[in-house]
Parts: sequence; C-alpha cells; structure tokens
Amino acid sequence: MSSLRRALVALGLLAFLLGLLTAALVMTSDHASPRGLLLALVLAAGWSFAFTGLYAWDRRPQNNTGPLMTAAGFAWFFQGLSASNNEWIFAIGIVGQNLPFAILIHLLVTFPSGRLRTRAQTLAVGLAYLATGPLSLIWALFTDPSTQSGCERCPENPVLIGGFEGLANAINALQAIGGSVSIAIGIGLLYRNWRRSSAAERRVLTPVFLTGGTAFTVLLAELIIGELGVPHTVQVVTFVTAVAIFACLPFAFLLGLLRSRIGRVEEVSSALSAENEQLTAELQTKVEELRASRHRIVEAGYAERRRVERDLHDGAQQRLMALTMTLRLAREKLDADPAASAELLDEAMEELAAATAELREFARGIHPVVLSDRGLAAALGGLAERSPVPVKVAAAPAERLPMPVESAAYFVVAESLTNVARYSGAEAATVRVERRNGTLEVEVSDDGAGGADPEAGTGLRGLADRVAALDGSFAVRSEAGEGTTVEARIPCG
Amino acid sequence: MPKSVLIVDDHPGFRASARRMLEASGYEVAGEAGDGETAIAACGELGPDLVLLDVQLPDLDGFEIAARLQALERAPDVVLTSSRDRADLGEAIAESPACGFIAKADLCGPALAELVG
Repeated sequence: MSSLRRALVALGLLAFLLGLLTAALVMTSDHASPRGLLLALVLAAGWSFAFTGLYAWDRRPQNNTGPLMTAAGFAWFFQGLSASNNEWIFAIGIVGQNLPFAILIHLLVTFPSGRLRTRAQTLAVGLAYLATGPLSLIWALFTDPSTQSGCERCPENPVLIGGFEGLANAINALQAIGGSVSIAIGIGLLYRNWRRSSAAERRVLTPVFLTGGTAFTVLLAELIIGELGVPHTVQVVTFVTAVAIFACLPFAFLLGLLRSRIGRVEEVSSALSAENEQLTAELQTKVEELRASRHRIVEAGYAERRRVERDLHDGAQQRLMALTMTLRLAREKLDADPAASAELLDEAMEELAAATAELREFARGIHPVVLSDRGLAAALGGLAERSPVPVKVAAAPAERLPMPVESAAYFVVAESLTNVARYSGAEAATVRVERRNGTLEVEVSDDGAGGADPEAGTGLRGLADRVAALDGSFAVRSEAGEGTTVEARIPCG
Repeated sequence: MPKSVLIVDDHPGFRASARRMLEASGYEVAGEAGDGETAIAACGELGPDLVLLDVQLPDLDGFEIAARLQALERAPDVVLTSSRDRADLGEAIAESPACGFIAKADLCGPALAELVG
C-alpha cells in the first residue's frame, strides 16, 4: 500500500469516528433541534463529502478537488460540535460551523481542477474564507449565544467579551455581506464557465453546477432571511434544505470528476507542458554541446594541420636539408679525395634511411594504410607490436566495418596506447575491440598509476569529439592507483 | 686568416652538416647555438665574423636576433637561412639588417662567399 493510500485510509477512519462523536453530541444535546434531522443532515453531508473526497483524492492525486471535498466533509462536523453541551466544544463548533460553505464555494468555482487561477475566483473564495473564518472568530468573542434566536438553551460562551453587542451585530452584517458577495461572484463564475464550456464539458459540469448553483441560491436565501429576522422555524427549514442539497453535492462532484476527462486532460496537459519545457531545455543543452563539439572538431583539424606542417618541417625536411649538404660536399670531394667522398656518401645513405623511416611513421600518424588495406584487427596488431609497453589484443573484429568507425576505433586505441607509454608507468596493457548489438565496443586498459584527467589534455578530448561525431560515447576511468581504462562505444549498424 | 662563423640552428643534424660544409669551404667554426638567447650570448663572448642564423628558433625570431646582433659593439655579418623558401618569408628579409638569405637547400661555400666575401 502506498504511503498516500495509507494516509487516506487513516483520514477515512478519522471521519468515521468524528461522525460517531457528532452523533453522540447531537443526540445528547440540550439545545439542538430538531435533533434527529440535524444529525441525519450533518452525518449525510459530513460522511458523503469526506468519503467521496477521499475516493476522488485516491483516484486523482494530482487534482485538488479530492482534498477540498475531504476538507469540506471534516468541516461539516463543526455543526455537530455546536450541538455539544460542553461550553468549549460548543464554542469551537459555533466558530467553525460556516466553514463548509466557504470550502464549497472554493470547490464549485474551481471545479474540476480545484486550483485558483483567476482574480475573480480568488476574490470569491477569499471573501468566503474571511467571512467564515477570522470574522466568525471575532464575532464569537462578542456574542452571547443565549440572545440568539433558537439558542436560548445553548451553553454560555466561555470567551465572551460582554458589552459589545453593537460590534457583534456589525461583524455579523459584514459576514453576511462578504458571504453574499462571494456567493454572487460564485454564481456568476459558474454561469460564465458553463457558457464557455464545450458540449462535452457541459455534460460533466451541468450536474455539478446545477446542484451547486441551487445550493448557493438556497444559502443566499438563508443569509438574507437571517438578516430579515424571520421566525426561527423558517430559518431552520431553509438551512435544512440547503444542507440536504449540499449532501447530494459530493456525488455530483465525484461523478463529474470521474466521468470527465477534463480533470485528466488538464493533468496530462500540465504534465506534457512540463515535459515539453524539460525537453526544450535538454535540446538547448544538446545544441550548445554540439556547437562546442563542432567548433572543437574544426579547431582540432587546424591544430592537426599545424602539427603535420611542424612535424614535416622539424623532421624529414631537416634531414633532407642535411642530406643535400652532405651530397653536395661529397660531389665536391669526388675528384680530390675519393675516400672522403665515399665516406660522405655512406653517411648520406644512412641519413636517407632515417628520413624514410621517419616519413613512414609520420604517414601512419596521418592515416595508417594497413587500416584501409587490411582492416582493424591487422592495424591493432601493428599498434600493439610497436608499443614500448607490452600490449595484448584480447579481441578484435575480423570483419570490415565502415571506414569512419574503423578509423575512430583505431585512433582511440593508438592515442590511448601512446598515453599508456608516456604517462601511466604501466607494465602491461590490454586492448579489446568487439562488435556487439550494432555497436563497436572499444576498451583499452592498463595496470599503471591511473589518475588521468580527460579534461587536462587535448588528446582525450579530441578522441571524445571524434567518437561523438559518430553518435558514440566515450569515457575514461582512471582512479589513482587503479590503472586507466578508456572506453568508446561507436554505433556501427 | 679564415673567417670565424657561429652556427645558430635548433636541429643538431643540420648544425653538424653546416659545420662540415663551412670547414670544407675554408671557414673556421667558432661555435654553435641552439636558440636565440644562447646565440646572442655566444656572439658577445666569441666575437665571430659571421653568424649563420636560422630564421625559426624555439625562443626568438631570427629577424629579431639579427637586429639585436646589429646593436653589438662588434656587430657580425649575419646570413639568414631557413628550410622555407625566400618567398615564404616575404619582405622581412629585405627589411632585416642581415647581409642576405640562403635557403638551406642552396647552402654551400660559394653561395656564402657571394654574400659576405
């Protein structure tokens, strides 16, 4: 059972017990009348709101209507508390007895989401809570219940501040005005919502608004009647009618909420919109990453060309320059000193062999011809053979793969092995390249010092970009003392 | 008395070939330097008649070194050299106080003699 459902079950149990308490209070009351009718209504409204509210809460946890209905159910029990013969419980009941009406206004004007969205909604709901909450409390401080019509046998008010009947009446009038204005705005909002809704929405809204609108109208009538000072019996009848209608209301709410897709659609739409925002943000990040990576690839291209020029200039070109001078000298000495000339020619041949080897190595660095001619396995074998650190090629694909994939995998291994030889202090390294589920998995691990920082040099970053350009992923694991493992996954169809 | 020469180049292989070529052509090699600062210090110390100066060195630009050598009390003749073409270096050769430029591929005794006598 989820934690929400456990809480809801506990609330349901509490509502049931409060109902029983209310029943006891009403049936033993000295002043409540008619007792049976009052009890039936309070229990009907309280339990129906609480239980349907909890059910709606469970079914639509994202929607506020369920919690509001539950709150209205609990608020009804204030009516029961006001039946108590204990002066303190009676006082609490008196203060809170009109609260359910405010919650109902809240429920109706915000149906089906239960969320306040417009100023008119906030005004109607705010006025309702003001009249039934804080104003009710202040009123109770200055009111002697025994002076109220139909309450001659009520307990004494334990917090009464006597001698302010005028103030009490003024507050009462203020409550009536606030409540009436709130209800009037509420009826206006219901009418406007109903008019704006589509035919499908009306099928759902009509029962709720019809029941709610009628209840409001009766409530408004009750407020006005109360102010006009009509006999207590008339007030009781009006009140009973209003409560009877209110008791039906939760079923209309529940029916509307469950049958409608409106609440659902609203939740889905809000979830979609949140998801959309998140996707847009993710996309933006991706675009920026892509832009940075593209920039780095172009930069790397230029850097590579500069490196090629510098390597050629510092390496083979210098050797060839020296060779030219040696050969020129050999020719000058050819007649006068043939032995010295022969010696110079030998030297020139050595120089030429060195220049050739250097050029071969250099060309391999630009593009290894063995890779395009004989494939990845042969090229990896060559890398392992030339590595100063012993390398074991544990796995290499025998079949040919797309050239960009072979090339990226080759350079991941080549650069990683260069790093192993230069920095790791490793005694052995293992290369594993396997094709699995349409992905070429490349792994180079060593038993060296570890602690390599992929952000520090341009080499690893360049590899990451190269792999990313093929929609692959690249990772370096290099805990200090644990060796280094470079991993690349390249989609290869 | 043979002219003394300081060879300035960051490639030891080239310095060795140049030394052999210069000696075969009747010059006396006073010393070698692998970078600009060492070259300027060696000039003050050795006072060579001629400096064979590579344009591209790890620390200083050959043209800058030529200008600084010009300010010495006994300013040596400077011949610039490079594995690049004259065209690659542009106006800088003409504007420099050096006697002239010989591409490394053309470097030999007669070419040097033509520039510095």
